[in-house]
Amino acid sequence: MPRYELALILKAMQRPETAAVLKRTVEALMERGAVVRNLENLGERALPYKISKHKQRHRRGGYFLVDFEGPPSIVSTMMDHLGRDIDVIRRTFLKHPVSKTEECSGIIPVNYEDKLIAKKK
Amino acid sequence: FCAAALLWGRRCSSRQEEVSVKSDYPIQMENPYKEPPRKCVLCGINVDYKNVQLLSQFVSPHTGRIYGRHITGLCNKKQKEITKAIKRAHVFGFMPVMFKNPSFLMDPKICNIKYPE
Repeated sequence: MPRYELALILKAMQRPETAAVLKRTVEALMERGAVVRNLENLGERALPYKISKHKQRHRRGGYFLVDFEGPPSIVSTMMDHLGRDIDVIRRTFLKHPVSKTEECSGIIPVNYEDKLIAKKK
Repeated sequence: FCAAALLWGRRCSSRQEEVSVKSDYPIQMENPYKEPPRKCVLCGINVDYKNVQLLSQFVSPHTGRIYGRHITGLCNKKQKEITKAIKRAHVFGFMPVMFKNPSFLMDPKICNIKYPE
């Protein structure tokens, strides 16, 4: 099963309410056959811009990161499900980023003359 | 010794002549003093949409626009990765669009941006 990452921005709420939202989100994911690997809290911060969602104007939000493995059909169903949740400001699914840092050979000087002369012909 | 003798036109034994002529030529090899290829600032660093501080270093503080390749000095790959990550951060609600996050204004300058006077 492919690995996904869910960048979740929740409304700035008290701790028990945030916990309840996260619990029902993870349960919804597991219902649709996903295996949740990790849930990270990136902290409650001020949003970069004011977001209007569900008839409210938000300035602060709690950032959470859920990485899970699930069937590809889960994405559209979860987007619908989370869209109906009032406490969720922004939800985005993306494929789990593979961190590849090795094999950076540096800037190889490109010979532009050859390229351009060949094209001119 | 025999090579010097050849230069002056004197004769040596034939076998020694052939060997000495070839041994005098420069050996073909790659330039041993070649410098390793220059690396850009982000060579070996993983670029992610989540670390907004790193992304903000390549963005104008006044307008929030992404700097071009001639200003950042990054290689092709990394410039593309940075642009994609910044665009993602904008959409996902991690990074401001029209300006640079004020808490990152005092970061060390990587880009050689010149303002017209």
